[in-house]
Amino acid sequence: MSDVVPLAPDLAAYLTSRISVQVGACDDDGFTSVVRALGARVSGDQCRVTILMGRSQAEPVLAMLRANGKIAVVFSHPVSHRTVQLKGRDAALEAATPADEATLGPYAVAMAGHLAAYDVPEAVARALVSCAPGDLIAVSFTPSEAYGQTPGPGAGQRLTPPANPS
Amino acid sequence: MSRLFTVDDVRNCLEGIIPAGLATCGADGMPNITYVSQLIYVDPDHVALSFQFFNKTRENILVNPHATVLMVDHLTVERFRMRLRYLRTETSGPLFERMKAKLAGIAAHDGMTGVFRLLGADVYRVLDIEPVPGRQLPPVALGPALLPALRRSTDALSACRSLETLFDTLAACLDRHFGIEHQMLFLADAEAGKLVLVGSQGYPVVGAGAEIPFGAGVIGIAAREGVPIRIMFAAAEYAYSRAIRDKASADGLMDHLETAIPLPGLAEPASQMAIPVFGCTGLLAVLYVESGQDCRFGYDLEDALVALAAQFGLALQAHRAHAAAEEEEEARASQPPNGTPAATAPAGPPLRVRHYPRDHSIFLGDDYLIKGVAGAILWLLLQDTTRAGRGEFSNRALRLDPRLHLPDLGDNLEARLILLQRRLVDRAAPLAIEKTGRGRFRLRLDRSVELREEADGSA
Repeated sequence: MSDVVPLAPDLAAYLTSRISVQVGACDDDGFTSVVRALGARVSGDQCRVTILMGRSQAEPVLAMLRANGKIAVVFSHPVSHRTVQLKGRDAALEAATPADEATLGPYAVAMAGHLAAYDVPEAVARALVSCAPGDLIAVSFTPSEAYGQTPGPGAGQRLTPPANPS
Repeated sequence: MSRLFTVDDVRNCLEGIIPAGLATCGADGMPNITYVSQLIYVDPDHVALSFQFFNKTRENILVNPHATVLMVDHLTVERFRMRLRYLRTETSGPLFERMKAKLAGIAAHDGMTGVFRLLGADVYRVLDIEPVPGRQLPPVALGPALLPALRRSTDALSACRSLETLFDTLAACLDRHFGIEHQMLFLADAEAGKLVLVGSQGYPVVGAGAEIPFGAGVIGIAAREGVPIRIMFAAAEYAYSRAIRDKASADGLMDHLETAIPLPGLAEPASQMAIPVFGCTGLLAVLYVESGQDCRFGYDLEDALVALAAQFGLALQAHRAHAAAEEEEEARASQPPNGTPAATAPAGPPLRVRHYPRDHSIFLGDDYLIKGVAGAILWLLLQDTTRAGRGEFSNRALRLDPRLHLPDLGDNLEARLILLQRRLVDRAAPLAIEKTGRGRFRLRLDRSVELREEADGSA
């Protein structure tokens, strides 16, 4: 496993800028699952990233994370397409905090704003990132790998620590 | 394999409007996740994903073929997880072309024109589709109910008794029953590798006689690949005006292609769909529909129009066979149609009509009218009407006329006459082709004409 390197401040800011997030996991037989997340936060020391998601939607992903902790998370700004993937090997499930719950509203507003650029109705965008009360769960991990995935020939290049977004 | 859902049930999720997430697993046992700009329907058990760059996803599926996609219906927000197994990559052919066209639309929509370049269509078997819980919206009807529209249209096509009525009825049905305002119908000339416009609706002029080479734009690609091509968003590289010019000059076809008759069409179509029409002898025609609105034509409409085009293709072939049978009958009855004398030419200054034998181009006064087979036919009609005083023509006599030893006349004669008739209307020409009976017609002159055969090379 790579040494723990704090995320560069601008990368941390980007990850938490209320953009589109999806989470991938796999089991030891090489089968995968995926879920859309509902936002992210970064720890004060910038070493740990926490992803929020709806438990009922994430169930197969959570089962894989519980089993092996291996996680891949892709962050993409829907308009600029700036995209970064983080990976970690120590993902752990946590209860979402009231502060996490409070981020859902602003997150939905931001996503509706991004998707409006594609004429996606606000009701569609809000439904896409909605979460029933009490269904929110958090998954935290230490990023050990970061890749720039902005579409184009350079996509997939590893971001060398201290990680910077492509 | 029994499954709750097939790809047929989740096709709206494949449009790429809300990008899907794709998870794979690498040789190191680590997951990888990426956004996928498009998934394409192959059949109820297969989908294809675009391969644009050699990336981690590609590296992974070559080692471990299992992948999972999370996809969302952009209207109802229904979500599905689809488990896939990678099978193969196609780098040319119908699926590749369908994907390339769709990708161009998505790239344009996302402001990524020139970034997406399709290297291959990765075909996956669908192992399982699982609904994902979450808030949904009620389904929205985007247009008329398609099955009733299809039934009314096929009923109407079955009632047609002439080729011209068949063309007109197809156009009317698309407009009335399917709510399609902008449409064109092209006949295929496989030998010459081009399509000729025979009818259109929703534009200031019909544009009869305009041509598109096979392979150019959505229409030409649908013809070349024999597969429907559908684009959801405006894609500059598939705008046919540009595509045709680029393709024709690349292939050195400019001389053979009718470029003087402009295609009608929207300046910037947002949604485009081209459907090849087949008969038992192969490609007969291409139907093209377009709209200024994004996402106007979905998978279900594509299915309905493919079914309608199949019916239309069979009817087209049946009409041709019927016309041929009638000509046989006429031959047996052996009544030459020359009996009726031509009407007396109207008074007034004559219209000068020029003919250039090299490509059979015809000019009315200084205005270009048409060239090629249609030009040759018109020249013959003009000569016989004015010089031989012939008042009526039969399709059969025309087909056998030694002066028209043109290779591709064959089955297309009646369609060529319709095309010529419409071109004359488009140009508001003082001459017209009028049907006088089954397989018979006359050339009506509203002005006297002065025919001039020009030396080649002086056009």
